[in-house]
Amino acid sequence: MKKVKIVFKIFLMLILLMPLAGCWDREELEDRSYVIGLGLDKSKHKGKIRVTMLLANPEVGSLQGGGGSTEKPREIITFDANDFIAAKGTANTIISRDISYDLLRIIVVSEEFAKTPIFVNALSDSLKDKEIRQSTYLAVSKEKASQYFVKNKPKMETRPHKYFQYMIDHGIENGLIPDSTLFRFFKTLERGTDLFLAMYTTASKDKNPKSKQEDEYMAGELNAAGELDETEFIGSAVFKNGRMIGKLTGQETRTVNILDDTTNIKDILMDVPDPFTKNKQRQFAVRIMKNENNKVKMNVIGERTRIFITIPLKVEIMTNPSMVNYTVERNQKKIKNEIANHIKIMNEHLFEKSQKELKGIPYPLSYFARKYFWTNQEYREFNWVKSFIAADIVIKPKIDIVDYGKQSTKPAKAAK
Amino acid sequence: MKQPPGKLGIREFIAIGILMVGMKATEDTPAIIYQHVQNASWMIPILSAGIFSVPLFLLLKTMSLYHEKNLFAVIQTLFGKYIGFFVCLGIFLISSLTISIDTRTYTNIIRTFYFTTTPNLVIYALLMAVCAYGAKKGIHHVGSAAYLIVYYTLAALYLALLLSTQDTTIQSIFPILGPGPFEIIKQSTLKMTLFGDFFLLTLILPNVKSSRGFRKGTWIALVFISLQSCIILLTYICLFDTSLGSNGYPFHATIRYLSLGIYLPNIEIFFFVIWILSAFIRFTAFLYINALMFGNLFKIKDFEYLIPALATVYLLIGSIPEAPIDVSKNYKALMLNSTGSFYAGIAILLWLTALLKGEFKDEKSKNSV
Repeated sequence: MKKVKIVFKIFLMLILLMPLAGCWDREELEDRSYVIGLGLDKSKHKGKIRVTMLLANPEVGSLQGGGGSTEKPREIITFDANDFIAAKGTANTIISRDISYDLLRIIVVSEEFAKTPIFVNALSDSLKDKEIRQSTYLAVSKEKASQYFVKNKPKMETRPHKYFQYMIDHGIENGLIPDSTLFRFFKTLERGTDLFLAMYTTASKDKNPKSKQEDEYMAGELNAAGELDETEFIGSAVFKNGRMIGKLTGQETRTVNILDDTTNIKDILMDVPDPFTKNKQRQFAVRIMKNENNKVKMNVIGERTRIFITIPLKVEIMTNPSMVNYTVERNQKKIKNEIANHIKIMNEHLFEKSQKELKGIPYPLSYFARKYFWTNQEYREFNWVKSFIAADIVIKPKIDIVDYGKQSTKPAKAAK
Repeated sequence: MKQPPGKLGIREFIAIGILMVGMKATEDTPAIIYQHVQNASWMIPILSAGIFSVPLFLLLKTMSLYHEKNLFAVIQTLFGKYIGFFVCLGIFLISSLTISIDTRTYTNIIRTFYFTTTPNLVIYALLMAVCAYGAKKGIHHVGSAAYLIVYYTLAALYLALLLSTQDTTIQSIFPILGPGPFEIIKQSTLKMTLFGDFFLLTLILPNVKSSRGFRKGTWIALVFISLQSCIILLTYICLFDTSLGSNGYPFHATIRYLSLGIYLPNIEIFFFVIWILSAFIRFTAFLYINALMFGNLFKIKDFEYLIPALATVYLLIGSIPEAPIDVSKNYKALMLNSTGSFYAGIAILLWLTALLKGEFKDEKSKNSV
């Protein structure tokens, strides 16, 4: 009897093993093709969009050491479709494997398409698809997204998922591109009070770009030479209610990133006019770190809203072109004021642009207005968008110089 | 520590309570609450717990008059045989409906987020089969299993909350009163259902080692869960802000969004496994209680054998709604608004009856003798 019982128990175990295999949702890695980048363009046909898929080859680079296959690391296909969900099926007429958005990293939209009202509808499909993650990045390309993917040929990071991940991570750390995930896009869209910034990118350089300050460029304007991939990530596209309305340069994007406490900027290297040289011709480099959150105070009573923003920054001075002695307190004060002034000007320029040109603020400043109201109804009556455009904004950078750099008392002229 | 067979200790009881009630914040309940009270949703668990604690206190007080008797026995002694029977039947039917809809919700979550092409019925049948198997083992085993996994569940939950704080903005909770104080009070009264399971848990009072331990456990669990649900809701609000309204299952949206640095980007499966374990225990306990009710109602002594049959019935009821949206928009919202008040009403009526019948006086005179 006991033996029979044991046999039955073993059988039960075996039966229980079967559902583990999951007959319906079984996925074979061999059989999957992962879309890393998705491009969206305007289509010539009415009511359709042009979908580009950048598919990664999982075989490339996955083997440690030697071996590996001679296959190409990626495949790109472009075709017209009604939406990018059903496009997965259509793409199977070309791609041999089962197409999946599980590892989708970036959605690239052409500037042309982002300016059309149907863009937001097309992108909203990503909420419906269960494979697309909300942490996917949204980028706007200067050229057509289909051309962008073809032209983008990274030299070092040939595996596309790594390339985009690193490119974007470091761009955000430097503050030159915004942290534009789908999550933030839809959150901003729902909130309806602020503007959204999407990273701006291009794979084709301008013909004769002018030389500018280190961060004033837009994508495609940096004239880099050498043996390189011409893709550039800098600046941002501004979206209002899910439609692109303008652009911000790298510098303006940085300013927004410093203002916005919800992005994780690491440290920013930038140049500030040197107050010790004549007419402030030369510049010195500083490293800006932001460890504390901004302090925002508002005065919402009265006709004009008044907004006071204090930006606490830690600054490290990296170069000293005029060889000033920073042990002197007067010089310390002078340079501190200069940095504060520079940052203030940058911010004032941004707020002026957002009040006059963009008619909205490209980061969630409206959050800070909420606490002055008791109920949602009162807040709605206050009408943030209108109040912001007319608001008085006072910016006060609080600079803390943590390091004046290595002090060289005498210029090393004699040695030369 | 020796335990009499089949009796629950206080920690096992608290573990069951936490899994049955506390896990409600990880399905679509928060989204339903958010639709009414928006950014003030986080107050609801605490206020509801406060309001529900009054009938619960009265109920526990009434129950303490009758040692070792469960809720149904007390109802039948106080209300008489016939009225008592119908009240108990009502409770049984409502809780049957609740379990059917809740299990269906879980099936929907599993299907929409994790097994997208598997038929609903297969997932549902597997879920019910596991729960029926567990429930048949008896409440003592359920308690042990609950105690075993409750720490993992809470640890995983807090880890998820902690990770999501990277992207939260605390300003989302303002304007502090949300849709206004009146709406908040109204909704917290309606949403007492959140804690309605404590009412049902009085059915297993005879299975707990001491009735003092039972009372103590109930209060500990109530306070703990209300605080925990408040924190969970607060995190959702700070993370999703207004987009929480269009989010059916915020917990799963959260764990899909989370990442452990750039090297471990997609970690939802870790949370999913623990979450589903807790779901099993939750419905196992719930199923057991329902079978217990049925057994009590129709005087069936070995009610454990009914569990597979009941599970099948619930599976069939739960399969009636066609699409997930029907479940949370119509059925669930309705249940969430009415059940709690019904339970609270019965608890108060019980106490009033006991008071009018002079049962409390008898107790006093008994004590003084």
